Amino acid sequence: MKISYKNILSILISAIFIGLFYNILNPKGIPLIKEKRELVFENDSLIHSIAAEKENLNLDSTLNSPIVKKTTEKKPDVKNEVLNQNKLTDKIEPFTEPKAIKIDLAYKLFKQGVKFIDARMPDDYQAGHIKGAYNIPFDGDERYREILNNFSKDEILVVYCSGTDCDLSIYLGREIFEKGFKRVYIFFGGWNEWLGKNYPIERGTNEE
Amino acid sequence: MNGLEKIIQLKEAQMKNKFLEYFLLLARIFLGFIFIYAGAGKISDPASFSQSIQNYRLFPLEIINIFAITIPWIEVICGLLLFFGISVKENSLIISSLLLVFTLAAAISMIRGLNFDCGCFGKPSPIGWQKLGENSLMLLLGIILMIYDSKLLNIASKNENK
Repeated sequence: MKISYKNILSILISAIFIGLFYNILNPKGIPLIKEKRELVFENDSLIHSIAAEKENLNLDSTLNSPIVKKTTEKKPDVKNEVLNQNKLTDKIEPFTEPKAIKIDLAYKLFKQGVKFIDARMPDDYQAGHIKGAYNIPFDGDERYREILNNFSKDEILVVYCSGTDCDLSIYLGREIFEKGFKRVYIFFGGWNEWLGKNYPIERGTNEE
Repeated sequence: MNGLEKIIQLKEAQMKNKFLEYFLLLARIFLGFIFIYAGAGKISDPASFSQSIQNYRLFPLEIINIFAITIPWIEVICGLLLFFGISVKENSLIISSLLLVFTLAAAISMIRGLNFDCGCFGKPSPIGWQKLGENSLMLLLGIILMIYDSKLLNIASKNENK
C-alpha cells in the first residue's frame, strides 16, 4: 500500500480546522496573532528618592550597611533588611503587575539589601550569581520555592535571569506576583549586565 | 524433502512476520499514546505552548500562535488514528515530520546555548541530550511504522490480511 497524500492532506486540514474552531470556543483561547507583551518599567523618579533615602540610612547605620555584610551572617542582616524594607515599602506602593527595572535601579535596590532571586537553573546559579541572591529555578524542583515562605509578602523582591534575552525572570516574577508578593521587580539586564558592571557576585550555594 | 523445507521456511517467515507485527503494534500504540498525551497537555494550555514556541526564537511572532493552536490538534488526531491503526502510514509520516522539526529545533537551541523548557509535554522538561535521544528514538519508530505499516488490531481492517 502506498502512502496516500490525499489522506495526509485531509488529516492535516481537519486537524487545523478543529484546532481553530476549538480555540474560538475555548475560554482560554489565544489570539491568532501573538501580541508583544510589553514590560512596564519602573519610572526613574524612584531612583532619586531611593538615593536620597540611602543617604539618610547610611547616617543611621554606617557600619551596618548590607553590602559590607557577608550573607553568612544571617541574624543582624535580617534585622537590618527589615529596617530597610520598612522604609522602602513605604515608598513603593504594591504593583498591579511585576515591574521591570534596569541595572541602575537594580543596583540601588541591591545596596538597600533588597532580596534578589535567581531564576536560572541551579548549575548556572552555582557558577556565579548576584551576591546574596536566592535561587528559585523556574523550571526546577518545587522545593526551591519553599524559600518564599520565609519572605514577607510586603517585601520587595528582585527577580533576574541571565540577561535581556531570557524569560525565566519574567515567568518567575509573574508567578511570585500571583502568589501574593505585590512588590516584585524584574531586573531586565540580568546576570550578564551585572557581571559586566563588576558588581558584587559570589559563587556556590547560598545555603548554610 | 524439498516441500517440507519450504513449509518450515514458510513457518519461520510467518513467525518472523508475527513478531514484526506485534512489534509494529507496540510501536504504534506507544507513539500514538505519547502524541495524544503531549497534544492534550498543550491543548489544555495554549498560552504556555505559544510561549514555548517563542522561546525557541526560530519563528516570527506573527505565526507562533497559529502553530500553538493547530499543532497540538494535529498531534492528538494523528496520535488517535495511529493508536487505532487507521491509515498508519500517513499518520506516521505526519508524526515523523513533526518529530523531525521538534528535534531540529531542540538541536538548534542546544547549539545556540539556549536553556529553557522544551514545551514538549506541557510540563517543564529542559532541552538536552536526553530529549534529543528520546526524540530520535520516536522518530525511528515513526519511520519504521511508515515503511512497514501496522495492520494488527486495527479498527478498519477487513480481515483480508489475517
